[in-house]
This record gives sequence, structure tokens and C-alpha cells, in this order.
Amino acid sequence: MTTRIHPPDAPPPHEPDDERLPCGRLLSQVWTDWEEGVTDAHRQRCPHCRAAVADLEQLETAVRALRDGAADGAAGADAADGAAAGGPGEAGAGSTASRDADIAARLTGRVMDLVRRELRPGRPLPLGEAGEDLWIMESVAARPLRAAAEEVPGVRAGSCRIAPAGTAGPAQVTVAGRPVRPTRVTVRLEIHAPLATPDLPRLAERVRRHVQAAADRHLGLDVAGVDILVTDLIDEPDSGEKGHGR
Amino acid sequence: MAGDPTPTGPPDEAAGPGDALPGATAGAPPAPGPAPDPTPAVASPGPDDALLAVRAAEGDEEAFAVLVRRHAPGLVRLATRLVGNGPEAEDTVQEAFISAWRTLPEFRGHASFSTWLYRIVTNRCLNVLRARKPQEPLEAAGAVAAPEHTVSPGRIAEARAAVSELHEALGGLSAEQRTCWVLREWDGQSYAFIAETVGISQQAVRARVFRARRHLTNALGAWR
Repeated sequence: MTTRIHPPDAPPPHEPDDERLPCGRLLSQVWTDWEEGVTDAHRQRCPHCRAAVADLEQLETAVRALRDGAADGAAGADAADGAAAGGPGEAGAGSTASRDADIAARLTGRVMDLVRRELRPGRPLPLGEAGEDLWIMESVAARPLRAAAEEVPGVRAGSCRIAPAGTAGPAQVTVAGRPVRPTRVTVRLEIHAPLATPDLPRLAERVRRHVQAAADRHLGLDVAGVDILVTDLIDEPDSGEKGHGR
Repeated sequence: MAGDPTPTGPPDEAAGPGDALPGATAGAPPAPGPAPDPTPAVASPGPDDALLAVRAAEGDEEAFAVLVRRHAPGLVRLATRLVGNGPEAEDTVQEAFISAWRTLPEFRGHASFSTWLYRIVTNRCLNVLRARKPQEPLEAAGAVAAPEHTVSPGRIAEARAAVSELHEALGGLSAEQRTCWVLREWDGQSYAFIAETVGISQQAVRARVFRARRHLTNALGAWR
């Protein structure tokens, strides 16, 4: 319990709804003090202040009943007696998790249906030889590269940007109607590495090799370079389980 | 532009005394009253939110799907508290996710992803409430009886009646009052957080919460 003078920079709001209690204190201030755990001798003795706090506590109790009821289903309570609105809260505690799962599944389905109509695939990247007209979208190519990085135990991959080497944007130069494209790309991958990594440069090099290999063999990208940026060190106790093979 | 990708809390703007700034964990205030909502923290296995958000920002819709699945239940609970039961709560959360997908490339991780989403949902719910006709009775969220284990039998009926009254009285609040009050009293958010979320001053939030409490305690008092 702290005891202090009313905070000087939080004057009670002067508004029509406020009320000066018979003891002289403003209702808003009494409630603010209660909320902040501030009390004094007057507050503890004054019947008006105590009644004001009791009102608020009663409200808190009702809120808690609503909230806890919605959370754990108020086991044993007669839900039908509650109120007209049915739905969440009437089910028992055991079904809260399954209701959450239902909501998650339903909403994920609805949201992703819409998301897939407006994908942001990124830029097209050249695949194969200079003369070929094969392309892969950046966001599609990024996925297996991130996965390759995460084959190194404890590593988590974040941003993965792939760009034509030596150019700022997508290749758009055309000659006689055909795109003349640089086939080489550079990869810039951000990773989170385990805090316990003894040799960070070596880990980064391992990741780089994994990514390079996946880009070369799996995707067929002509990779000029892979930049690995360690953007965070994470304390992950279960880091070992992430390493598949190798 | 290799900015610091570590998510930080929302920008500190003039936090008042006693106002805990919500960090990535959406902390509860030190107040004796509101308890923090048991919204599931991000403890599920798999990459953390920040990484998934970066991937989704770069167009990885599978990463986004993981985020939706992870946050949908908590956000629907929030929306239900704000706009009541019924399809509106889920619809609002759905729209918030779509909006998040569209604006993710501009999301720079100034706040945690969950805080960012929380804000989007809150503001959309606020708009839903504003669009309602005044005095239209609102269905409160999860209208249920009081848990029996916390109170003596004699107080159960009392608590139930109070819940029922509260339920009804919520309909008498303005959109802003209801939103500020729900965030404060049900979700245990700090005044600073609410002010930033709703886009008004802390003073204005305090005034709205006060008016809401005034209205609600009066309603409970009428029954008592």
C-alpha cells in the first residue's frame, strides 16, 4: 500500500459527471486512488469514500463474473439463468479450447481465401540460362531458402530478399521485344541464431552453404552471392529438435 | 536499410504516473482492480510473431496463415467484448486481418505484431459501435452467471443480477466510453496504451472510463 499526495500532474477531470462527495473529495479522485492502490487515513475511515469504492468494487465483481464466465464457462453455474444472449460462456471449461480451435480454423479459412486473391508475390527472378524465359516469383523462391537455412539447428529465418545481381530493381531491359535479363541473383537472408552458438561466423557460413545449395540445386537460381545477416540471438531451449538431418 | 528488427514496445509517449507501458506482452496495469485477460500469449511452437510478420510482409502467405491461426481466438474475444456476440465480432476480426495483410509491408515492427493487430481490431470495433444507432440495445459479451466457487450462495443471486444489470447498462455507453472502458476494465490495459490505441489523450481516456464507470455503477446501484 502506498500513501502519497494526489499526483500533481493528474488533476481530477472537471466534467459534468463528476461528483463531490459529502466529505469534500471528488468521486473521480477517489476512484483513481483506488485504481492506483493509493490510500490514506481519510480514505480508510470516511464512510463516503468507502461507499464510493464499494460501488466500484461491485462493478469489478460483475465484470470479473462476465470475464471469468466467458473464459472458463462458470462451471456448475446455471447458465440459463445468466441472460438472454447465448453463445460463448455457456459452454463448460473443457470446450473453451475446442471453441478457440473452431474460431481459429474458421477464421483462418475465411481470411486466407481472401488473402490468396491478393497475393504479394514480389518480383520475378530469372531461372536457368540467359536465353531461357523462365521465371520464379521472389516470395516463392524465398520459402525453400528459408527452410534450407533452418536446417541448421536453432536457426530461424526471417527476411529473405532475392534480387538480380548488380541491379536495383527487376530486369526490364528489352531488346527486340525480348527481355535481356541478368541471370545472376543475390540473396540477402536475415536469421536469428541461438544465443549459445559458440562460433557465430561458422554458423553463418553453414547457413550460407545450405542456402546456396538449395538455390543452386533445388531452384536452379544462378546465385552470385548469399549474404547472411544475424539480426538476433535467441535463447531457445528446444533448438536441437529443428535440425533435420545434416 | 537494415533497421533494427527487434520488436520494441510502442513509442513511449508521455506515460502518466502509474501507467505501465504495454510492451510486447500487453502488460497489465499495477491496479488492484482489473486483472489481465488470460489471452493466450504467443507460446505456440514455431517461429515467433516477429519472424512470421517479416515473412508475411515479404509475401509469404503461409507465414501469415500461422499468424491468423495463432491470434484469431484472442482477437475474437476482444471484438466480442467490444461489439457483442454475433457475426459482427468475427467479421470485424476478419477485416482486420485482411487490412493487416495489405499493410504488412509498411509494418516496421515498432510495436509487436500482436499489439499492432490489437489496435486494428479495436479501431474497427470502435467504428462498428459508432455506426450503430444510439440506444440500440447492445448484446454484452458472454452473458453468464457468476462463478459459484468465488462467492457464498447468498451472493450468487446478487452477482447474477449485477451481471445482468451490467449487461444491459453496457448498451447505454457511447462507443468511445465502451471501448475505453472495456480495454481498461476487461483487458487491463494501461491508460497510455488505450490513449495510443484509440488516438486520444490519456486525459480523455480517463474521462471516458470515469463516465463509463459512473454510468455502470449507477445502473448496478439502481438494482441494489
